[in-house]
Amino acid sequence: MLYYGGSPQTTDVGYAPEQPIPYSHAVHVGQLGMDCRYCHTNIETLATVPASAARGDSAGAMPPPAHIALPTTEICMNCHQRIAADSKKLEPLRRSAATGEPIRWVRVHDLPDYVYFDHSAHIARGVGCVSCHGRVDQMDVVRQVAPLSMGWCLDCHRNPEPHLRPQEYITRMDWTPGQSAAVQGALLKAKLKIQPSTDCSTCHR
Amino acid sequence: MSPLEPNSGEQGFDSQAPPYWRSLEERDASPQFREWLEAEFPSAAEPGALSRRRWLQLMGASLALAGVSGCRWKKSEILPFARRPAGRVPGVPEQFATAMELGEGALGLLVTSYDGRPIKIEGNPSHPQSLGATDALAQAAVLELYDPDRSQGLIEHAAQAEGRTWDDFRRFLASQRQAWKSSGGQGLCVLAQPGTSPTLAWLREALLAQYPQAQWFEYEPLAWDNPRQGARLAFGRPVRSQLVVDQAAVIAALDSDFLAWHPAAVRHARDFATRRDADGPWMNRLYVVESTLTVTGAAADHRLALRAGYVAAFARALFERVRQGLAQPAAMPLPSAGQPKAERFLAALAGDLVEAARQGRPTLVIAGPHQPPEVHALVHHLNHLLGNAGKTVWYSEDPRGTALSAVEAIGQVADQMHAGQVHTLVLLGGNPVYDAPADCRFAEALRRVATSIHLSLYYNETSRRTTWHLPQSHFLESWGDVRSWDGTYSVVQPLIEPLYGGRSAIELTAMLAGLPTTAGLELVRQTFGRLVSDRRAGPQADAESLWRKTVQEGLLPESRFPALDVQLASSADEILARIAPVAFSGMASRAEAADRAPGLELVFCRDSSLHDGRWANNGWLQETPDPVTKLTWDNAAWVSPATAKALGVKTGSVVRLALGHQAVEIPVYVLPGQAAGSIAVALGYGRTAAGRVGGDTAEGVQPVGTDVYMLRTRAAMHFASGVVVEATGRHVELATTQDHHAIDTVGLRGRAERLGELVRQATLRYYRQHPHFAQHVVHHPPLESLWQEPMYEGYRWGMAIDLSKCIGCNACMVACQAENNVPVVGKEQVLRGREMHWIRVDRYFQGPVEDPQVAFQVVACQQCENAPCEQVCPVAATVHSHEGLNDMVYNRCIGTRYCANNCPYKVRRFNFFNYHKDLQSPENEVLKLLYNPEVTVRSRGVMEKCTYCVQRIQAAKIAARHRGQPVRDGQVRTACQQVCPTSAIVFGDLGDPSSAVARAAGSDRAYAMLAELNVKPRTAYLARIRNPNPLLEEPDTPS
Repeated sequence: MLYYGGSPQTTDVGYAPEQPIPYSHAVHVGQLGMDCRYCHTNIETLATVPASAARGDSAGAMPPPAHIALPTTEICMNCHQRIAADSKKLEPLRRSAATGEPIRWVRVHDLPDYVYFDHSAHIARGVGCVSCHGRVDQMDVVRQVAPLSMGWCLDCHRNPEPHLRPQEYITRMDWTPGQSAAVQGALLKAKLKIQPSTDCSTCHR
Repeated sequence: MSPLEPNSGEQGFDSQAPPYWRSLEERDASPQFREWLEAEFPSAAEPGALSRRRWLQLMGASLALAGVSGCRWKKSEILPFARRPAGRVPGVPEQFATAMELGEGALGLLVTSYDGRPIKIEGNPSHPQSLGATDALAQAAVLELYDPDRSQGLIEHAAQAEGRTWDDFRRFLASQRQAWKSSGGQGLCVLAQPGTSPTLAWLREALLAQYPQAQWFEYEPLAWDNPRQGARLAFGRPVRSQLVVDQAAVIAALDSDFLAWHPAAVRHARDFATRRDADGPWMNRLYVVESTLTVTGAAADHRLALRAGYVAAFARALFERVRQGLAQPAAMPLPSAGQPKAERFLAALAGDLVEAARQGRPTLVIAGPHQPPEVHALVHHLNHLLGNAGKTVWYSEDPRGTALSAVEAIGQVADQMHAGQVHTLVLLGGNPVYDAPADCRFAEALRRVATSIHLSLYYNETSRRTTWHLPQSHFLESWGDVRSWDGTYSVVQPLIEPLYGGRSAIELTAMLAGLPTTAGLELVRQTFGRLVSDRRAGPQADAESLWRKTVQEGLLPESRFPALDVQLASSADEILARIAPVAFSGMASRAEAADRAPGLELVFCRDSSLHDGRWANNGWLQETPDPVTKLTWDNAAWVSPATAKALGVKTGSVVRLALGHQAVEIPVYVLPGQAAGSIAVALGYGRTAAGRVGGDTAEGVQPVGTDVYMLRTRAAMHFASGVVVEATGRHVELATTQDHHAIDTVGLRGRAERLGELVRQATLRYYRQHPHFAQHVVHHPPLESLWQEPMYEGYRWGMAIDLSKCIGCNACMVACQAENNVPVVGKEQVLRGREMHWIRVDRYFQGPVEDPQVAFQVVACQQCENAPCEQVCPVAATVHSHEGLNDMVYNRCIGTRYCANNCPYKVRRFNFFNYHKDLQSPENEVLKLLYNPEVTVRSRGVMEKCTYCVQRIQAAKIAARHRGQPVRDGQVRTACQQVCPTSAIVFGDLGDPSSAVARAAGSDRAYAMLAELNVKPRTAYLARIRNPNPLLEEPDTPS
């Protein structure tokens, strides 16, 4: 009872806070078909990192970003200068564009401060967005679908095969492996020499 | 057989005194030391304020509260840029080149900025004065930047108005400038800190051109005046000596701490260490003559403790001996056993210098800034005589060659102020009310000045007495430029907007001069334009790209001063005539006689952490133990054991030091190796308006340490004789860390005998005969593990620390503190042995108390493969990684402290309190910017320790994976390794046989500390090899 009450399954899954702008991924991604990378710009650099590195990277260069950036106001305004330019819901966006003050989005997926998660490490090895974030393309309000608990992380670190996909499908929410996910995953795992670490210092420092 | 055994035998394992010791308390096996040794956490055993039962009650209550509040989501926000700056990716650290100036030197730096906030300083590898390393002071500069006690606004005292703006000041200045214009600047004085900025130099000229009657003075308490005047005496013109330490076969340092206190000290340390490699082509030999034990003295092969006042006579004797020896080598007297040590030392040193000169090998003689100009002049003669000029020392222009000396400058300005000739005094930085010579009576003089304007980082002693206080911008928030000791030009690039709206010294000077532009960047660009146009007449586009390159790389290529061809302008006999002919042979007995006579000498030392006091409010530096005394949060009067005995005082006894009409009361610290009859006091303590760390009497914060500036006069800026010492009968406790974390292998007596197992050393000669001696110091039966030994795949991280190179400078301690968010605990907690440094520098004395040798040993977590800590943790909070690290999982730790109890190296640190609690108060909000986001901030009740900078390992591994390559050697550098001026620390993959660390760990000198415990540490030590003169081997000095 105590355990259940405190487990991330209970406390975190389903968290869907109200956002300052009722932005709908279902509309933008699901209906309009926009790519994740249009707004979350630095995923692009992540997905193409191995290729660029192959061209020769200097020693000691900084790693690709561990964090995925939220879109800047500028990116939203690229379209919303014209589209729904007078919408009342977009008032905070226009204010931000005018003043330069950031929009105060509410964080949905939050890990404890003693956990160090690196998006680039996962994306580069073929873990798709959907594996952790769920079908964001069908969400009107973003909510947390995975518990993001240590046990849940370790499940995948110990048995990554079902969660691996080719690089080109990283952002595809509806991708399904042609053959069994485990078989395809095993091939990818062997090809990329993926050996997820379960050492404590992998995530805790 | 241990190389130390024959000599140790003579010293006598049978005698009571152990061959190695850390403090006099240990040597004499005092009860206090026994307590430190036997209890891992001595203070935990004491009846504290809280009984165990009460503690459990409190814990129960806070647990219940935590249970109630822990179940709901805590709302947190993400604030993306409205418009993201080009090239900025959130969460990706960037490095920018800049430079830090201190006195007449400057160090090129690379500063890591995390989401726009500078958090960590590294040396700039391409800068010739840094070569990638820094000193401890540069490491602590980020804490200074974010210090909440920094001045946060303009204050006009005359109007009793806070909250003045720069516009108010500009208006005030406009009216002043009208008056200055009409009077030609009569009565206007600027008192600046000596610096190296070419921009400030031309602004000064611009200001003086505007107001021809105005005057510009420069003062700092630790000035480089004696060397400058000495050069003028020797060469007839001011030149600067540039030392090439790595070319010198024999180095004689006369009262010179050139490895730690010199504008080029970081470079000197690197060059010195390259010749301390016993496996290299040759090793240098260092002789040091000094009054107080310094880092350089500790590194010496031979050291002579001599009163500072006798060093001139020693220099004279050395010169005469060398001159004679070069003329008649056969007649050189050899050291003989019956002579006093000083005689033997002199004979050996002169013999070595002459011998090297005859073989055509360059040597180097260096005099320190405490010594009067004639000693420096004599040293120039000596270097010429030995043929060193152009080889180990070259001469460049001295940009401050024509300036008044600091003492003359402060004297003149104070005299004019007293005489009422100064109407307006502008102080660019500095703190003369605190640090001017006492006989200037600067505070009193300041009252006679109608308008005084002080630009300062802190609202300090001087600021509080001026009519205007202006906040200064930190070097990490402003544009500027510097020239390092060798002339290399660097642009100081800001990493962040001024936190408190401060302005820099160049900006204020431009305002005073009424220049059309007062923006720092514009002023520096103008300087750069002139500098480049002087160099080559290129098109404008070239200058732009050169500017960008200079800013990006941190230095202007080929900007080093050219070497000058200088000739001696005076004869050696003229110089010798200026030095009192004290019979050298009588000196040693005179020194001994001085113990009982009232004629004790007082030496004013630079403090290794606070420098001249400017860093008194820096908690990192206050808590960094002095390299030699291991004293934190205090200064003390250092006296030799013999002098202490004669005076009837011991460590902690408060004495009254009287010099002339002034007197201070200060605790005594009995320092082995201090010259008899000489008392040393560190400047920089006793600040009354430093801040909440260093002392602020107005806010009820007691000063840290004792202010000894009040004994310092214009006539005796460096040392004075005739100090009268009286014991007051009071006693205070000094927070020294030297007996903390003493490693106990087999009980007190056994340990004392076996300390040589921890620090292994031998002479070069012995090492050549017994290259594997380090591995044979301890013999043990074959080791069997009780546990299943771990298997390793992939990387095997390891470290090697070369004890021959380590000079104990403490840079690694502060670098680790900055990198790993290590808290400051304060004097009270240090007294209880609760300091939190993950890496410590153990200092061992060896030999007789009056004349010991010193060895340093850097100790951090050894990352044992059979780690004793892991085996006792009940909650698996410290576990073994597949790469061989002892991972710490802070959020699992419940604070049983079993691990620390079981650690043979005593490297685990426990958070007895929530040392980061202060962050919660609003005025400390700014300190949050300082923290490294890649490392967890530990809370109360959690054990912590070194992890080989695992955050850097992870970042390098992820980056390497993206490149599809393994981590290459040198791509992971721990914070301590990166900062080390002597490159004593190497780190890398032991599994890669070609890596630097694998080669070091495989060297003949490598040994594991406490290998007999079968803990299999990953850190290897390389035995220390000294290079003593065979003629000087003394029966009481281990070979």
